[in-house]
Amino acid sequence: MSDGALLLLPLAIAWFAALLLSPLDGRRRWVGWVAVSALGAGLAAWIWLAVRVWRSGPIEMIAGNWGPGIGIRLRADELGIAFALISILVLLAALAYEVLGGVHERALPELVLFMATGLTGVFLTADIFNFYVFFEIAMISSFVLASYGTEARHYRAALTFTLVNVLGSVVFLSGIASLYHLTGTLDMDAVAIRVADAPSGSVMLTAVLIFVAFGLKLGLFPFHAWVPLVYRDTWPAVAAILSAALANIGSYGLLRFGAGLLPRELDLTAGGIILLGSLSIIYGAIQAIGARTGSEVIAWSSIGQVGYILVAIGIGGQIGLEAAVLYALINALNKLVLFLAIGLRGWLVGASVALVAFSVAGVPPSAGFFGKLDIFRASVADGRNALIVLVIVGGALSLVYMFQFYQHRFWMNGGDEDVSPLSSRLLVLGLAVAIVAIGFWPEPLLALSARAAAVLPGGGV
Amino acid sequence: MILALALAVAVLFGAGAYLLVKRDLVRVVGGIILISNAANLFIISAGLTRGREPIYPLEPGVRVSDPLVQALVLTAIVITFGTAAVVLGLVYQVYRGTTAEPVEPEQENPPLNHETEGQ
Repeated sequence: MSDGALLLLPLAIAWFAALLLSPLDGRRRWVGWVAVSALGAGLAAWIWLAVRVWRSGPIEMIAGNWGPGIGIRLRADELGIAFALISILVLLAALAYEVLGGVHERALPELVLFMATGLTGVFLTADIFNFYVFFEIAMISSFVLASYGTEARHYRAALTFTLVNVLGSVVFLSGIASLYHLTGTLDMDAVAIRVADAPSGSVMLTAVLIFVAFGLKLGLFPFHAWVPLVYRDTWPAVAAILSAALANIGSYGLLRFGAGLLPRELDLTAGGIILLGSLSIIYGAIQAIGARTGSEVIAWSSIGQVGYILVAIGIGGQIGLEAAVLYALINALNKLVLFLAIGLRGWLVGASVALVAFSVAGVPPSAGFFGKLDIFRASVADGRNALIVLVIVGGALSLVYMFQFYQHRFWMNGGDEDVSPLSSRLLVLGLAVAIVAIGFWPEPLLALSARAAAVLPGGGV
Repeated sequence: MILALALAVAVLFGAGAYLLVKRDLVRVVGGIILISNAANLFIISAGLTRGREPIYPLEPGVRVSDPLVQALVLTAIVITFGTAAVVLGLVYQVYRGTTAEPVEPEQENPPLNHETEGQ
């Protein structure tokens, strides 16, 4: 198979599967399983692409046989692949979970596939406007997905989510337009070169626009107000999709646009970014301790967790960016299991939550330990002692709220009669065990995030 | 022209932001639409250049205006349109689900059970 076709394969699988399944009723089991297998095929295509890129470097193609600099460029490099693999895996797990438990709205499997299309495109494109288009495909599917459920609160959560994120998209679109105005091109590589000659004040303003847009998606500290409202009231599988797959666009965008296209601006504002990240960590953790319901605890916790990603991006350099990628990937896995576990009852669920709680707090042996360790290493290498304290205090606080969460959920509400289906519980347990397994054998993930960081101009050793 | 566009963007954005903080959900949607269209105008202004219309065949040595922003804004308008439709659909569902929009302070129906928990 030629390189170009290989690049289009994951996109085509998700897109055609979504289109073909659209007229069908997603509540039927077999439709759900067809969608799950399509996502599986998409994931397999990504893995194939990943192996190819791992052996022989990034693959590029220009859509429609246009010349370089004219057509829209698609590119698969390690950074995009790392995020794509995790995001599609999250979608796959969340959809399988929902199909096992019984889908009760006809459009769910198709919407998840449309979101897979959008995410695949975002991680494959090397064109800033194309990025926006795929980003909107993922966002619009997420707006509809967020309303999944039967009660009015699901719709209200979806409305909050939609209004905030449409604003975020508008800000992002303005940022893209400014970048085009400043550089006269939409190609990421060309933007990265030409932006150095643009007036620095305007570039800084553009960088702030883009930072705000991705900060909103991620739910960072000053832009976090929607996070607890939405995650509290959405359906568990949907919350997992929003926070563990869709939010990856935020961390990927900060890396790709911040560290990739605007490294000078990132350098200049590193202090502020680290400060915002630290505030996120502390504020999220304190609010999580005070939160009452399980999903609120995890929502606040997610605000704290993305703070670590921001801190790592602020530290920068190969070691910081590597830590940011690794932390983003592990955080997505943690939140996937936690949100899925909220919707379930039974003892296997408690075991899964306990396993993941240690990963969130960064206790070995779990994947989360290596995420924290990497940020720790980055802080030490950068000589920032305050950050070292912050990482330790943040870890301790997360242990406190995860323990509270566990206590509330599984000790005080003991004796629940309606136990969830064994298959769903086994799925969640399997994912939790996988997180621990990564803790025992972290080398592939560490190597992947190191290669991903090396793609960015600030990275590379 | 730049000034006119800048003013239009400012007015649209300001009006949209004003509507966005209203309690009436339909007005909020109106605000979203205005703000999105402010962004669309902003895209046009990002590529505002003087010149002939860029239609092939081009006369050599004659400046043409930038055609790319037109394509970009067309895409963005379609996306705005789709988003507005989705948001209106959601507002309708919220309206149906709560029987009275949360706008009216003097609602007749007592709040549903799930509204009172965990708010």
